[in-house]
Amino acid sequence: MDNKNNKIETNTNEYAIEMMHITKEFPGIIANDDITFQVRKGEIHALLGENGAGKSTLMSVLFGLYQPEKGEIRIDGKTVHINNPNDATNLHIGMVHQHFKLVENFTVLENIILGVEPLKELHWGEESASNSKAKAFFKKIGRFLSKTFTWGNKHITMSLDKAAASKKVMDLSKKYGLNVDINAKIENITVGMQQRTEILKMLYRDNDILIFDEPTAVLTPQEIEELMQILRNLKAEGKSIVFISHKLNETKAVADRVTVLRKGKYVGTRDVKDISKEEMCEMMVGRKVELEVIKTEAKPTNEVLRVENLICVDKIHHRNVVNGVTFNVRKGEIVCIAGIDGNGQTELIHGITGLIPLKEGKLFLNGEDISKKTIRQKNLLGISHIPEDRHKHGLVLDYSLEQNLVLQKYFLPEFSKAGFIRFKNVRGYAANLIEQFDIRSGQGPITKTRSMSGGNQQKAIVAREIDRNADLLIAVQPTRGLDVGAIEYIHSQIVAQRDNGRAILLVSLELDEVMSLSDRILVMYEGKLVGEFKCGEATAQELGLFMSGAKTAEINAVKSEGE
Amino acid sequence: MEQSKKMTFGQWAKRMMKKNSTQTIITSIGCAVVGLLVGFVILLCINPNNAFQGILQTIQNFFAFKKAATQFKYFGLTLAKTAPLICTSLAILFAYKTGLFNIGASGQYVIGVLITCFAALAWRLPWYLCILLAMTGGAIWGGISGLLKAYFNVNEVISGIMLNWIALYLTNALFQANAGSVWDLMLAKTYKIDSSLPGFLPTLGLDELFKQPACGLGMIIAPVVAIIIFIILNKTTFGYELKATGHNRFAAEYAGMKGKRNTVITMCISGALAALAAPLFYLNGLSQWEVQATVPALGFDGISASFLGGLSPIGSIFSAYFITHIIDGGSTITSLGYSPQTAQVITSFIIYLCAFVPFVKSYIDRRFNIKEMLLTDSLPTREETQQMNSHVKKRDKRKKEQKEDK
Repeated sequence: MDNKNNKIETNTNEYAIEMMHITKEFPGIIANDDITFQVRKGEIHALLGENGAGKSTLMSVLFGLYQPEKGEIRIDGKTVHINNPNDATNLHIGMVHQHFKLVENFTVLENIILGVEPLKELHWGEESASNSKAKAFFKKIGRFLSKTFTWGNKHITMSLDKAAASKKVMDLSKKYGLNVDINAKIENITVGMQQRTEILKMLYRDNDILIFDEPTAVLTPQEIEELMQILRNLKAEGKSIVFISHKLNETKAVADRVTVLRKGKYVGTRDVKDISKEEMCEMMVGRKVELEVIKTEAKPTNEVLRVENLICVDKIHHRNVVNGVTFNVRKGEIVCIAGIDGNGQTELIHGITGLIPLKEGKLFLNGEDISKKTIRQKNLLGISHIPEDRHKHGLVLDYSLEQNLVLQKYFLPEFSKAGFIRFKNVRGYAANLIEQFDIRSGQGPITKTRSMSGGNQQKAIVAREIDRNADLLIAVQPTRGLDVGAIEYIHSQIVAQRDNGRAILLVSLELDEVMSLSDRILVMYEGKLVGEFKCGEATAQELGLFMSGAKTAEINAVKSEGE
Repeated sequence: MEQSKKMTFGQWAKRMMKKNSTQTIITSIGCAVVGLLVGFVILLCINPNNAFQGILQTIQNFFAFKKAATQFKYFGLTLAKTAPLICTSLAILFAYKTGLFNIGASGQYVIGVLITCFAALAWRLPWYLCILLAMTGGAIWGGISGLLKAYFNVNEVISGIMLNWIALYLTNALFQANAGSVWDLMLAKTYKIDSSLPGFLPTLGLDELFKQPACGLGMIIAPVVAIIIFIILNKTTFGYELKATGHNRFAAEYAGMKGKRNTVITMCISGALAALAAPLFYLNGLSQWEVQATVPALGFDGISASFLGGLSPIGSIFSAYFITHIIDGGSTITSLGYSPQTAQVITSFIIYLCAFVPFVKSYIDRRFNIKEMLLTDSLPTREETQQMNSHVKKRDKRKKEQKEDK
């Protein structure tokens, strides 16, 4: 603590972090090319860029995971060499990772103090000893044991001072408005509280520089608002904050300044108040991007999918994770199921597509009962499915691109003859799709999909599913983890499919996507549909209330023609 | 030197290292060499005087004989013994491609032996029926594991190991119960199947060529089966489904492939292949069944052979030959004063190390595919950048986690 106070007094330098002309090369690629990144003391600085722009590499350099080839790092005006994360910790740099690093079955308090536990001397029965001779004896033993074992693990001769730890955590929590239950286990608390635990972890270690790696990806709108407030509180207390993101709304809302990276190069640093979202986006992508999805009003006609009173159980706990869901999707409309992750959306889609069995309820596709059909029959009858997890369900990563593009078609006469695959046709078909959907890969159709980028893998799946010309297109988080350019492309494809007369069922956790893409929004909470809105009818705040279960409404999600 | 004008040798070598086939060949040879070195060290520890001679004999096998004719004769014997190993190795790799580990190949082989001997000795059936029946038996035996796996989610390794022992004791018991027709009480083993029986495999003149009565049709059946398996796996929709299931069963299910049915069929085919080893071993008089206390190693050697062959049916032919060659050669070092157990330890070590091929290969793959970007002529596109970063991100995530753990 002394050390920290000294620093603040003696140093009048303007910047908390200065990364000057950082160049980091990997074999064959320059991940960071002459990047200068300066964070003022007590500001929230957003680091903006698409996937692969070099944000993570830059932060890894700051965190000591990589050593840059060129450039220097200054913390509080002093040049430092950060060789490993321990150095970073000693310099009071802390980071909240996108995927929290918490021990699930430990309490919040235990997680916070993990690794820096406050210790107190263990007394080897000295108090309970009856006379001075015995006391001296125990002391001797204690010292001997300390000397012998301390090199191995200090916990053997010291005991955990939980009271001190809990007092410090409570103080911090009060000071910054971080509301947590310190005795609750991580597995029982909400994602928002887990994130606050991570923040407390950094504060507990007296970190002055806090790095947040895409902190809002997992939060509801209300939680995001709360986080923004926390960030402002931290700023008010003089912490310097780096906020890594590719979301423009949040950047605009909370950051003071923004630094944009593109393809490993430094694009610029601006004051957030002087720059519009469109300008930021242009800096990030390098060209003008349509932020709003352009679409005309939906003209829904015939009912394509009807789901009646569907009940599905999850595989592990056998709970009804989808509990009596009824809705329909009509030709020429995009129906979106919104909700926080884990409220049964995954199981609902798996139930509809046939990946898990239905416990109860009925499914109709174009009026035909498909509740008992197999996945292949459903595929052939006209369901195509862009799955949530492209690596688990969407692709066979060790197969080549062309093999993946015929994943549901290889047995059709077009691609097989007497049990043998017609390789020429497969190649031709793949080449067509690759050209049509602009799927980029190193070696064209024979590229192993594992070696392709996430955006192109997703494009391959989208291409495959759209080209199957099914009546119903189910898209689950079709833009997860993709950059702005790819998102724009996939959104436009989905809208084009709607205009081509397909029925589209979209599941998304991103409210922006839900709001901009859908014609009808159904909110799912704990396995039930709790709210229904038309396009443009509800605000993000209102949706958020429904998503978190604060509000519910009687709904009738089955709509008839032309309504 | 095959290097093109543009590339230096180093670049050419790097490009070659990226190729799957080169990686397989190099790692296979590397593992075999390391295995031999370990064997050499063990011999040095046991008896330094004859160590070099010992390892030389192991490698030489029949080349140790002076006369060319004798060499050729024993070459034929090694070839004849290779055929069964090719079959078990194919059984392992076929199941492996579907993501199943058929450790029950030994048991399926034992069932094959049981049926082969009964068919040839007791029922005096012609050789093709013997083979057909043996393969059917193996298919059923393998199918049990497959059914358990598909419908009751019993791990095929567990059921395979248990079925191995059931098959072994069943075979021991049934042979001994049929003394006279199958079992020779005097010698305590099954009667030898010789050319007087209709079950004896046609020799096609190969026995004349090699001056070795065991040579014959078996030597041809095994490689032909390997080629058929190669075609099934690589050219048919069935193979496409199987491999998709093996690589990613979730994606296969998503695509509507029948995972359960494929599991059962795969195990049946795998079992039939393992059982095919039996007629190739017994219908030419190469071997007779004695009461055995342990499951025959042939099925387990098949694991090494398939891994050493880079999980390719064609590669299996060569790797199976290499392993048979080493086993045969290793058995000769008893003449140098080493115990038979030592000989087995040496060959086992070599075979064991051969099974490391896939792990070494994946390491090489990771190394050279990170560096492959160096070779691209144009600048990396955004996609390649992302791809690079995903590699690196994964690595530093791992590093970070390790460091944080500390």
